[in-house]
Amino acid sequence: MLEIKHLTKIYPDGTIALRDVSFTVEEGEFLIIIGLSGSGKSTLLRCINRLIEPTEGQILWDGMDITAADAVQLRHIRRQIGMIFQQFNLVKRATVMTNVLSGRLGYVNPWASLLHRFPPADREMARRALERVGLADQAHKRADELSGGQQQRVGIARALMQQPRMVLADEPVASLDPVLAHSILGDLERLNQEEGITVLCSLHYLDLVQRYATRVIGLRDGRIVYRGTGDDIRNMTDAEFKEIYGEEAVRVSVGPHAKEETR
Amino acid sequence: MTTTTQRTTAGVSAPTAGLASLFVPGLGQMLIRQTRRGLLILGSLVSALGLLAWRVHLIAHRTAGVWPAFEKALRRQPVFVGLVTIGIIILWLWASRDAYRQASTGQPGGMGIFVLIVAIFFVLGWQIGEIDLYKAVTELPDAWPPLSKVLWPWGAAFVRETEEIGASAPILVPCDDNPPAPPEEVAGQPYVMAEPTCGELSSLDENNQIIPGSRLTLTGRGFAPHTETQIWWADPLGNEFRHRQGGEYVTVETDDEGRFQVELILPYRLVPPSAAGRQIWHVEARQVSAVGDLKPSEALTLSVGRMVETIFLGMMATVFGIVLSIPVSFLAARNLMSGSRLTLLIYYLTRTVLNIIRSIEPMIWAIIAVIVVGLGPFAGIVALTIHSIAALGKLYSEAIEGIDPGPIEAIQATGATRLQTIVFAVVPQMIPPFVSFSIYRWDINVRMSTVIGLVGGGGIGFILIQYIRLLDYRAAGIAVWFIAITVAVLDYISAEIRRRFV
Ligand SMILES: Nc1ncnc2c1ncn2[C@@H]1O[C@H](COP(=O)(O)OP(=O)(O)O)[C@@H](O)[C@H]1O
Ligand SMILES: [Mg+2]
Repeated sequence: MLEIKHLTKIYPDGTIALRDVSFTVEEGEFLIIIGLSGSGKSTLLRCINRLIEPTEGQILWDGMDITAADAVQLRHIRRQIGMIFQQFNLVKRATVMTNVLSGRLGYVNPWASLLHRFPPADREMARRALERVGLADQAHKRADELSGGQQQRVGIARALMQQPRMVLADEPVASLDPVLAHSILGDLERLNQEEGITVLCSLHYLDLVQRYATRVIGLRDGRIVYRGTGDDIRNMTDAEFKEIYGEEAVRVSVGPHAKEETR
Repeated sequence: MTTTTQRTTAGVSAPTAGLASLFVPGLGQMLIRQTRRGLLILGSLVSALGLLAWRVHLIAHRTAGVWPAFEKALRRQPVFVGLVTIGIIILWLWASRDAYRQASTGQPGGMGIFVLIVAIFFVLGWQIGEIDLYKAVTELPDAWPPLSKVLWPWGAAFVRETEEIGASAPILVPCDDNPPAPPEEVAGQPYVMAEPTCGELSSLDENNQIIPGSRLTLTGRGFAPHTETQIWWADPLGNEFRHRQGGEYVTVETDDEGRFQVELILPYRLVPPSAAGRQIWHVEARQVSAVGDLKPSEALTLSVGRMVETIFLGMMATVFGIVLSIPVSFLAARNLMSGSRLTLLIYYLTRTVLNIIRSIEPMIWAIIAVIVVGLGPFAGIVALTIHSIAALGKLYSEAIEGIDPGPIEAIQATGATRLQTIVFAVVPQMIPPFVSFSIYRWDINVRMSTVIGLVGGGGIGFILIQYIRLLDYRAAGIAVWFIAITVAVLDYISAEIRRRFV
């Protein structure tokens, strides 16, 4: 479904954020990318829908090269890929409803949408999406009146509006407490399992990874240093752990619900 | 932790540093790597000396030579010249001691030397600013009458319709056998009668001393009671002038029944030789009396009208400023313009132009605008618009620079077009600062438009400056009050709107 070949990203200031990254994502996977902050997770996810222009390499979406897509093609690809963010990235002063509806922007008539006119079908769809994430009664509140977990659910609803085949999630739970983290990831897991939406998610904590991932990629300094399944994480060796998180990292505990800490 | 209190490592001994600063103040400090301190001392000393030389030159007006000029200046303004001279000498010596001590102990120099520098410049500033507290106090009583009129001008806000009544009597100059008869009295009309009805005008002798003319008694009746009455003359050609006695205008007040009596000396007038012979002059008594109801004075109606003009002037300038500054602000927003070298160049250019325009006061723009479009409110609108574009352009562009890129990213990721991204992610973030800055600017513009008229830019300032020039302090006071009221009300409204919107 998605094939990334020799992807390299060098920022204008010379930072090499990704070095020759290659992997494929199959339909229906829950692929989790782990790595320290600064390892290039966000850059990688943003290269996929070209929020960031890759420097080199190819990204094939159903065999079509995203990096070579023109503006119209890119729009069509982007609307099939939902995205949720660590900081939720909602338009804070807009209502929850408007935020959710904006997920349809890739589909609706661009001119009508400028006047905030959306087809009734889309509004109905937005109501259903909000119902799904349990926020049906919050539709007319301003986005910044909601709690963090609720805001992230609005983000998921917005992504759902795209009727996506894949969802990119950039540390979706890093700003939330552990209980909420499980509930948000649970939402993503349900989308993955019930609707067959492919999920590409970056995460920080390993115990979450074991619980949700079907496959894991470890990034360090822009390079892939680990490939495995969710089960492999459980049995990860110290060597592998240090490969991802560096020599100074300490595994606080080991076990089915191990928590890692990095310094 | 590293601090600047480390021992200096420069290879200069303490006496060398001290001596260096004795020859060139600050040089010693520079040698021991206190370059900025040294430059500051040197700069202050040189500029203080320069300023002192300049003021001495002005005080000792046209005295040749340095020492004679200095002595003369010291005699004329001993406190100023003496204090600054002593200050400079102390500073010079202090600089040397400072360099010596720092070099020998390695301790950083204190702040005392800068206190001295500030003190020297304060004394210089006092003299250059021609500060005269004594004058400010002693001349206050003289300033009080006009000031009080400005502070409470409302006596002139309403006036009554006035009516002028008067009556005249003929006077023959010079006397002959046939003096004119007193005028006929008509019942119900004011009436004056002179006694006698002829006489000699005042004249000048060869030493330009006035020889008083004949005396006559002017009796009047049928005037308004208890009202000031002016005495006027009309020469045979009909030229009118007010009667003076001893240099003062003569005014009499009528009694209970509207009567008066006054002694007059015939006035002095140059009479051309061709006019020799029998001449009929007229003496006249005039009263101005108020009739009818109170009505708003011209000053009041003008002020109201001009105030409305002022508010609209400020409003139009704000509207034009907002509309025009929006595109400009995009060009001045770094995050939008950092794409390529060309756009970055446009960004720097726009920023620079905006900064230059903004640094020129609206009053100066108004003077320029008056030259281009002529006197009147339009000139004011042009001036304030120009300044608003620059000020708002900067504020808006900073607001654009400050927007959160997160939502933009999120909207882009949905497959939205550029325009959709702007409408859904940028505009909602822009509205609060936009409203806030715009209202703030409206507030400033109305405030500015009250004074832009001083230089011909229309609005209430235009009549205010005229009233001041005509010494009509009451009318000026009314204008000032209107300005104050409007500005205060506006202040309140704009604060209120900003509070609600943002
Ligand atoms: N806009 C940028 N300009 C320059 N360097 C950047 C930029 N964004 C990220 N980087 C750098 O790229 C590297 C990868 O960053 P990122 O992808 O954000 O990592 P992660 O999401 O894993 O924390 C880091 O070294 C970061 O400092
Ligand atoms: Mg990141």
